[in-house]
Amino acid sequence: MDEIKEGIEQIECDVLVIGGGTAGPMAALKAKRKNPKANVILLDKANVKRSGAISMGMDGLNNSVIPGYATPEQYTKEITIANDGICDQAAVYRYAEECYGIIQELDSFGIRFQKDNNGEYDVKKVHHIGTYVLPMPNGDTVKKALYRQLRKSRINIVNRYMATRLLTSGDRVAGAICVNTRSAEFLVVKAKAVIMCLGAAGRLGLPTSGYLYGTYENAANSGEGYAMAYHAGAALANLECYQINPLIKDYNGPACAYVAGPLGGYTTNAGGDRFIECDYWSGQMMQEFYDELQSGNGPVFLKLNHLAEETISEIERILHIVERPTRGHFHEGRGTDYRKQMIEMHISEIGFCSGHSASGVYVDENARTTIKGLYAAGDMANVPHNYMLGAFTNGAIAGEDAIDYAADVDFAAFDEADILAEKTRVLAPTRRDDGVPPNQIEYKTRRLVNDYLQPPKVTAKMELAQQRLAEVRDDMNNAMYVSNAHELMRSLEAASILDCADMAAHASLYRTESRWGLYHNRVDYERNDKDWFCHTLLTKGKNNSPTSRKEAVKPYIVDIADDEKDAYNHQRVTAAE
Amino acid sequence: MPLAQSSTSVPVVVNDDLCIADKGCTVCVEVCPLDVLRITDMADGRKTAHMEYDECWYCMPCEADCPTGAVKVNLPYLLK
Amino acid sequence: MNNLFEDFNDIEMLAEDLQSTDAGERIMAVIELTDTADPEVIPHLATAIRDQDINVRKQAAIALTDFDGVSTAAALVGALSDEHAEVRQAAAVSLTELKDPDAGDAIIPSLGVDDEFVLVSCLAGIKELRRADAMGPAIEALKHHSASVRCEAVNVIGWLQDKTSLPALRSAAGDNDALVRRAALTALGFNKSDHAEQILVAALTDSDWQVREAAAETLTKSGSAGCVPSLIKLLEDEYWQVRLKAVRTLGKLDARDAATLIGEQMTVPVPNLRKECAAALGVLAVSDTAKFLEPYYDDNDPDVRKNVRWALEKIAHTA
Repeated sequence: MDEIKEGIEQIECDVLVIGGGTAGPMAALKAKRKNPKANVILLDKANVKRSGAISMGMDGLNNSVIPGYATPEQYTKEITIANDGICDQAAVYRYAEECYGIIQELDSFGIRFQKDNNGEYDVKKVHHIGTYVLPMPNGDTVKKALYRQLRKSRINIVNRYMATRLLTSGDRVAGAICVNTRSAEFLVVKAKAVIMCLGAAGRLGLPTSGYLYGTYENAANSGEGYAMAYHAGAALANLECYQINPLIKDYNGPACAYVAGPLGGYTTNAGGDRFIECDYWSGQMMQEFYDELQSGNGPVFLKLNHLAEETISEIERILHIVERPTRGHFHEGRGTDYRKQMIEMHISEIGFCSGHSASGVYVDENARTTIKGLYAAGDMANVPHNYMLGAFTNGAIAGEDAIDYAADVDFAAFDEADILAEKTRVLAPTRRDDGVPPNQIEYKTRRLVNDYLQPPKVTAKMELAQQRLAEVRDDMNNAMYVSNAHELMRSLEAASILDCADMAAHASLYRTESRWGLYHNRVDYERNDKDWFCHTLLTKGKNNSPTSRKEAVKPYIVDIADDEKDAYNHQRVTAAE
Repeated sequence: MPLAQSSTSVPVVVNDDLCIADKGCTVCVEVCPLDVLRITDMADGRKTAHMEYDECWYCMPCEADCPTGAVKVNLPYLLK
Repeated sequence: MNNLFEDFNDIEMLAEDLQSTDAGERIMAVIELTDTADPEVIPHLATAIRDQDINVRKQAAIALTDFDGVSTAAALVGALSDEHAEVRQAAAVSLTELKDPDAGDAIIPSLGVDDEFVLVSCLAGIKELRRADAMGPAIEALKHHSASVRCEAVNVIGWLQDKTSLPALRSAAGDNDALVRRAALTALGFNKSDHAEQILVAALTDSDWQVREAAAETLTKSGSAGCVPSLIKLLEDEYWQVRLKAVRTLGKLDARDAATLIGEQMTVPVPNLRKECAAALGVLAVSDTAKFLEPYYDDNDPDVRKNVRWALEKIAHTA
């Protein structure tokens, strides 16, 4: 089973889409529809039918910009503020303009959004300052509906091949090297354009349960996109702005601010007292959450037991049926009932995910990275707070731009030696007779991430992390051992995770100020707008280790008033008078 | 360093009597994002799906998509 | 590496396996036929949905979600009477996924049946197809003894947005089941007539809080100045959820007379409500209401703060 075989095959296509989760299928569909004669390949290390962050569906859109309920200007302003000012607005604005068209298109695919009893979109929380929440009552059918469209459009789907490195030629992308996750056979895909949709780096920190796969993100999203972009020479932006989310303790399902909040649920401390007013996920909110967890008032709970029975049933229906059906089993196992007990909460392990924060491959409003012909979309591309609809919309933008790019260029020549070198790197753990298995390399990396890299961030600790991670890297390069093709996939994931850990340490040390609340709380530095109102861009340096530079935030296209800038600051409930 | 094996209880349970792996079904194996399920031969010569690797995100497609209701996903012991 | 790409197999070859004597093989045939995404497989799936094995039938019912049109609908309607609940449920879900209005041809005849499950499923299926000829049977179904049937019938009527349905919706708004009343009230949102508004205003004093909430919410969409006095009374409702919807609608209706009463709600310790009150006060922009907002300029809830500051600016601008 999963026996390692020798083999290498080479194919070519106009556009290669890596990752068949959310952004990827949309990118492939849009590229194919714009140029039906083009050869578009959609590749996934799992199976496109159920791969990615929305494997089992999604309970709603958090960021729908629907005419009559919100405007692109309002949305761009909100995201700029939520992201502490560091945001290239053009990409956010373009998303906001185009996402309604994508909603309608998804609707026509059979993905259903909540409508009122007149068949009109039932956007929640209507007021003129903008409202963005659109529930999805049958959100569990998302992947099924997407897959149906892919099959109808006759997209070439390649399952169970994991891309390990991009091929480049000067400053252009030339294709990708992939390896079969069940046979270790290689596949070289020459491509005129490549769209990376590989999701978050969700296996970076270790969850408190200690179970390697009990992560907030789909555990298959182990940061290959970040690592591949890095090794290809692309720039990655603001990696120090980690993703950290509130969670049900031990069960890594979100704590449902969007579901329970509008219905009256809220976060409390152990005394049942509210300590933050607003459960909207921001770094500042997470800082208050963290402080309460660490204080004598902790831990933190989700309080629903004050709500009407009708409301609780509605919350259960949404949370237990649609997004993570095991949530109901979890509460049942612990004997917790929303009606009676409060639900213990915690914070998630750290990760990279621009979908919820801003840590991603640097892209412009066309989803182009800093490498020609290379695109990125979804959780791994740095359009901030982008969520699922952002992945669909920016995937569409990438697909349409990439197919045009591919029409005008020939294949880029690449160095055959790169393939041999990658083959040697990938197969090294198969050439040994014993050694350290990938799960131990991964566990140690992620344990070090928790010990030294998760906030509050301290210079001396992060420098220690770099030393210890270098030791793990040494072991990985010289002593990692795998016995079959499945473990080989895990060894490649372990390498991506280690790359991401190195990038997290480097980026966090580089920005010597605190920003985005808990996400980058450098306790030995204050916030410093004068020197740090900028992106930080990380690339692979000459000595094969990360290097960082500052990049100016592009001039705003939507102005932010001074008294709006602090919208997410000081959220702690002030003491009763 | 030499290797040792250690036991672990796995969250995904397959009812062999309902599983139709014998008929060529690999639905659960295919839909798993982490690729942890495999088809195996049983003592009586029939085939069944089982959890080969304890690397589960308890996301449920294997249970939801199984055509005969043979698959049950429990929460991994460490976090339940 | 012969099978690099997902394949598109020959339909007739796959369909042969539906003749197999082994149920497992027939299930696999259904799955592979579905994955072709080719409408030519519909007749084969329509056969499979009448298979002798329950799992084959269930798989076919699920599979038909991926297809559309009248023959898909006909096969699904047939399966609503399957002897096994799992098959019936799967068929009902697939029915709601239809998009092609022509598919309704296979559903309309079943809108006259008496069976509760079949009727609920057919009404849910026809709703999104917006077939005008479903109106008559839907109104008829309002007399059904099952509240679930009456609820789905109201939804069908609401989606059609036809003003001739007002008498039917009026009677549904007086149903003895609260869910039916709620559905009927929200269905009235398309119509801005006095008649519709009277029905909604009457419901603001319903005994069920979610019915009152639905009526107040629908008035945001369709209400006129005439309903302001009743909405003001609703500001004393015991449920903040109901008050919240009343505040929203009063803002939308530019009910400046209500500004002070809305301002007084700012002291309620539910941020959801404060947020809504601040937004409404900004819309109304009545100068002496600034005093209700000022204490919340630095509210701990960013959304409240944002609305308060915005509202204060609007009020200052008006003054």
